[in-house]
Amino acid sequence: MNMRCNNARRFLSQAMDEQLPPEVTRQLDEHLDACRDCRDFREDLVLGRRLLDATEPSLPENFDWRLQLRLNQALQHAAGETAYPWLEDKPQRRDWAGRFTTAAAFGLAAVLALAMFIGPVDRTVSVGSGQVAGFRGTLPVTARVSDRLPLTRNTRSPLTRPRGIQHSVSRSLGLGEGSPDAAFALDRGWSGNHLEDLMTIQELRLRNQRLNNQLYQYQREIALLREQLDRPDSNGLDLGQ
Amino acid sequence: MNLSREEHPHGSPSAARADLAGIRDEDLIVMVQEGNRRAFDELAGRYKGRLFSFTLRMVKDPVLAEELTQETLIRVYIHAAKYREIAKFSTWVFTIATNLVRNKMRQRSRRPQLLSLNPAPADDEIPLDPADPVADPSEEIQRRELAVVINEATAAIPEKYRIPFLLREVEQLSYEEIQQVTGLKLGTVRSRINRARNRFRQLVKPLLRDETLLAELEMIEARVAQQKDSPS
Repeated sequence: MNMRCNNARRFLSQAMDEQLPPEVTRQLDEHLDACRDCRDFREDLVLGRRLLDATEPSLPENFDWRLQLRLNQALQHAAGETAYPWLEDKPQRRDWAGRFTTAAAFGLAAVLALAMFIGPVDRTVSVGSGQVAGFRGTLPVTARVSDRLPLTRNTRSPLTRPRGIQHSVSRSLGLGEGSPDAAFALDRGWSGNHLEDLMTIQELRLRNQRLNNQLYQYQREIALLREQLDRPDSNGLDLGQ
Repeated sequence: MNLSREEHPHGSPSAARADLAGIRDEDLIVMVQEGNRRAFDELAGRYKGRLFSFTLRMVKDPVLAEELTQETLIRVYIHAAKYREIAKFSTWVFTIATNLVRNKMRQRSRRPQLLSLNPAPADDEIPLDPADPVADPSEEIQRRELAVVINEATAAIPEKYRIPFLLREVEQLSYEEIQQVTGLKLGTVRSRINRARNRFRQLVKPLLRDETLLAELEMIEARVAQQKDSPS
């Protein structure tokens, strides 16, 4: 036995592919007859090849159809035409146009958000419930808020400022005329004189109270009329005429 | 370029296919050079399975393997005029495929792997054969399971050894053809195939002593032989 195992195993690979000269093949066969390990090695190589053959993957479904489609596209492309325009990539917008659109959209969104935040809000806020003398039941008391309470110093109402009275007195005495606060008040429809404005507010509050009282009266009458209607022996409405 | 298929002088398409079936690859590509689309279809039919098998075992991704196979065949058609019969047609085709595979693998190694919420099919999702009422589903599952193991083992072989190994073992190209496809020296081709075989043997060795697996292998081989004998 002239051949060593490591040489024999190297030649085995070539022998499988019929690449060995006859003389080396003969020596290899002699070695294999005598060496069980190298025979097992050869069996393993043959089994490996069989495994590869047995597990050959199948082509995906519709392979031929997709090939024809791609080939037609490639040919049309090569001819300078568009085979399937809907499958082509959409042309890219120019960069500046895209950026401008994005910036404009963001700007508009920011303006809208700011307007929603500081602009007038008309909503009804429930502030509690009250009991009206001579009326059974609870009447809801609501207040109509036609303006969001200002959050910043410049937009704060003169009434909500802690130093409002002192400030209005100084204004009524003609002090601080032409200040930014005065200009702000004039812009918003106030007189610029805080004392006058306080009186106006007081009048408005009294008027509001009167209207509320009137409303309660109407509601009370309605309730009495309903009670009258709900009675079993009621023949109709007694309008007191 | 006229894309319509030309009328075959011998009549029906099946008759045309039967006529083309006996023609050598090298003669068919000459017909393709003359604009014969049927000749290309015949060549594509001969090579699509082999190319898909090779590319799938190289890239391990069925979708990408299909894309590379189609790209190879399209290049064959588009660049048919560049083929000269100084090499076998199979050598030319696999040179194109090998270059495409190498480029793709190089691109993949450069780019970071992105995780997708809709990942590519795993090895156990290799497409099945079209529905075959005669085939036994359990046998197909066994074949798929075995294919997963074999594909894993193949993928574990370093790329520089894997290309000549697959060209030899799967595509059955000669050493000289592999030399032309890869551009390697003949001695290098020989030693790389030898190394790849040894590596593959080490990887699948635990399976080789499994009698159940060997029985499955024989069943699969018998079925494949049966299919070859009676193609429907």
